[in-house]
Amino acid sequence: MTQSRLSRPDHWRTRLGSVTVWLVLLLLIIVPVGCFLAVGVSPKLFGLGPQWWTWSTIRSTFTGYTRKGMVDSLLVSSSSAVLAVAVATTMAWLVHRTNLWGRRFWSAAMWVLMLVPTWMTTLGWIDVLQPGELATALGWHSLFLYHHFFGPDGIIFVLTTAALPFSYFIISVGMRGLGSEFEDAARVHGASRARALRTVLPIIAPALLSAFAISFAESMSDFGVAFTLGSGAHFPIATYVLFNAIYSFPANFPVAAVIAAVLILSTVPPVYLQSRVMRGRSYAVLSGRTRGVRRHQFTPWARAGVTAGVAVFMFLVLGLPLTGAVTSSFTNTASFLTPTGVHWTLDSYRQIFNAPPAFTALGGPLLTSNELGLLVASGTVVIALVLAKRLASRTSGAAQRIMDSFLLGSVAIPGIVLGIGYIFFYDQRFITQHVVDLYETLPLLIMGLIASATPGQARLLTGPVAQIQSSLSEAARVHGASRWRAWRTTSLPLLSRAIVWAWLLTFTKTISELAIAQILYQPGHEPVSVTIETYLGTIFATIGSAATVLTLVEMLGVIVIVLTLFRLVTPRGWRRIGESVVPS
Amino acid sequence: MAPHWRVGGALVSASSIRIDQVSKVFAGKTALESVSLDLAPGSFTVLLGPSGSGKTTLLRCLAGIERPSAGTIAINDVVVASDRGVAGPEKRNLSMVFQDYALWPHLTVQQNVAYPLAGASLSKSARQSRVAMLLEQVGIAHLGERYPNELSGGEQQRVALARALSAEVGLVLFDEPLSNLDADRREQLRIAIATLTRESGATAVYITHDQSEAFALADNVGVLRHGRLVQFGSPETIYQRPADAFVARFTGVAGELPVASWSVSNVESARVVVALAGAPVLSAIMGVGLTPNCRATLLVRPAAVSIEHELSENGIRGTVRDTAFTGRGYEHVVALHDTVELSKVFATERYDRGSIVSLRFDVHAMFLMPTTEGSLP
Repeated sequence: MTQSRLSRPDHWRTRLGSVTVWLVLLLLIIVPVGCFLAVGVSPKLFGLGPQWWTWSTIRSTFTGYTRKGMVDSLLVSSSSAVLAVAVATTMAWLVHRTNLWGRRFWSAAMWVLMLVPTWMTTLGWIDVLQPGELATALGWHSLFLYHHFFGPDGIIFVLTTAALPFSYFIISVGMRGLGSEFEDAARVHGASRARALRTVLPIIAPALLSAFAISFAESMSDFGVAFTLGSGAHFPIATYVLFNAIYSFPANFPVAAVIAAVLILSTVPPVYLQSRVMRGRSYAVLSGRTRGVRRHQFTPWARAGVTAGVAVFMFLVLGLPLTGAVTSSFTNTASFLTPTGVHWTLDSYRQIFNAPPAFTALGGPLLTSNELGLLVASGTVVIALVLAKRLASRTSGAAQRIMDSFLLGSVAIPGIVLGIGYIFFYDQRFITQHVVDLYETLPLLIMGLIASATPGQARLLTGPVAQIQSSLSEAARVHGASRWRAWRTTSLPLLSRAIVWAWLLTFTKTISELAIAQILYQPGHEPVSVTIETYLGTIFATIGSAATVLTLVEMLGVIVIVLTLFRLVTPRGWRRIGESVVPS
Repeated sequence: MAPHWRVGGALVSASSIRIDQVSKVFAGKTALESVSLDLAPGSFTVLLGPSGSGKTTLLRCLAGIERPSAGTIAINDVVVASDRGVAGPEKRNLSMVFQDYALWPHLTVQQNVAYPLAGASLSKSARQSRVAMLLEQVGIAHLGERYPNELSGGEQQRVALARALSAEVGLVLFDEPLSNLDADRREQLRIAIATLTRESGATAVYITHDQSEAFALADNVGVLRHGRLVQFGSPETIYQRPADAFVARFTGVAGELPVASWSVSNVESARVVVALAGAPVLSAIMGVGLTPNCRATLLVRPAAVSIEHELSENGIRGTVRDTAFTGRGYEHVVALHDTVELSKVFATERYDRGSIVSLRFDVHAMFLMPTTEGSLP
């Protein structure tokens, strides 16, 4: 009997894969963040104080200004998350379970809302509400709203609008999977419409909890709104307090580390609760036999009224701030409305490419940001796919559960914490002299941005990966395909749409990312978000608005180009995944 | 030398299979325990067993999707799995029809069927004509441009069958391919599988938990239980000489009768004489494992029982509990007393519920087995 060429046992491949994955996670997230957090209790570890171990920093952090910042953060994040889930549930129900007009349009609008960073939204609102700006020009008395905007109300509003799309898409998946048979079963067994709803809602409880956990984590870790709104609002929130602790003189890294730890730990309860409720199952698929949903039919008048309500709401959360930014960008006066009226001009657009002294023109930073976006999105998608494949694996071992929890927790690590962690770890003399000197280089910024995007994208991709039945790739293997060809010809086409959207989301988020970019950018190669930030709050604010508008248009342009290419390049079969099945 | 068969103009070499002491353990649970089998080239073998018996695991080990924990698998005398490693599925020259069809939803029917031909040295036109011929053979030539989700379950499984036969491999595996289909489509596709696979000349291994499907398809049947191969033989052998009570029960019994006493009447022909409580003495075949004075149960195949109006001398009195029309006749459930019932008792005429009847028994389809031996899981 002869011997075929036998491959090495699978467990070697598995172990090698596990070691590589954990090594990447260690270098990208665990060690840098761990080093920074360690400073909170061991300042001497990095030469920032005399003690090897102390509780005094923790005690001092929980007093006065820093304590208020943390409490404020918890309050506004909880409120924003609750509001986001409530509004998202309503929107998801209206779009997926009723005959609302323009359902595709509202879902697309949610995508746009997700792409707009909080600092852009905030600046847009300031351009609307500030005395002398758009609201004044329209004759609205906005002073009362303006004062409220620079306080907890404004912060909660912006954070809610930022968290809304995440909640909406998560709850939408639950709503779509919630076939009408559950409601029918309740009704035929005597339940009233209200009781049937009470019976059915717990089925999407995992999706609601997921939405809450992610909304809370996003709000806690948000830096854009803290930086643009919290600073002038006399309402400090934790990320801004953390930023102040680092960028004040002298910098107080131990306090910043304790705040960072609080930010991360604060997300543990909702994340734990969510994972307990999920118990490893996906909220994406309730049943393979779920019937299609039955839409609630509004009467014509009610339909028109509800659609108008949704339109007004979406205009408020998306249209108005964008209008504010756009109108502001077409003026170059100190305020939109001057004593002689509104002076429309393209000056700001000219000046953004021919910058005033001491400012940077948009061209270079925009190019840098696009390069960053390209590299970060591509790197993130590759790593996230590997992680998603491991998370979706049928064998549910301890290592898999640990990675799952770790990635869930990592979603909540604020960008600013990652950025500072990178400086702490990769600027250590041992690293710079004996391993590699990455300080103030583009690769370090790329690593930081990948580290920031990977946990969220891995979680997002786990759903689509888990939905691919293993028999599809097994069928390819037994019909002669190698491991690589099996993946390329069966899994990749089925995941292509999810991969494209994950890439686009990471690309756009990278371009608009502010916290890590501000800390890690290479001098002379600043990303566009940092450039825009330098204009704001100066007499050249309208140039900042013009830069904001151009950046947003460029991001939307890339999305349109990529989606068009996807449509043109990919075979028809790739684009029709998920279409309805003809019943046998 | 393995036989060669001419199918669609190509020579197909059927594979011989040797499975030697193969075991598989999943997280401490034994799914397969020291299974050994030799399958002749071109044979059609059905592995029969209930859920959890290990038949799927054995098939997946054969396919190379699972790695055996111990033992050796050889295809055409080439070791493809041993403690030294495994050869990947793509290196085993086999194909498979999956229970859930496993058609790639992004490929058309034609593209699905052509997939295994990617590595073959065929011209594009030869490839297309082969695909067209196969689709014609499985009766879906008009569906080539469609996508899987535009087909019914039966049509999808026909595509899976065409795909499995397209590469002219030496071994075709079937993982309960009919279990998701309704009765009418099951029968049609069973015939297609039986004829087309045999025409292809490939060795076939088919798993199912349905004994009628197994007997209809197989040259040989292997019965598995709790990860062990309990019996391997022709369908006739399995039915007429079940190795134990489990095999007898799993391949169909009308009922089990409690035995008051028994004795061996003919050692050479393995016959026993059985005394039932309050009933005449019956003859039966002696089952494996019977020892003197051990408690025993009489297992009765449906074919062993005939039904009469009048109580005859050697008949046993019973009461009809239920009657079901099957088209070609009637199947009855007959109670012998309060605790013993015989089902699937066939007669061409109808016996009404509650009527008193006489049952006669055929010695060739009754087996006396030790009472302690296994029951169905």
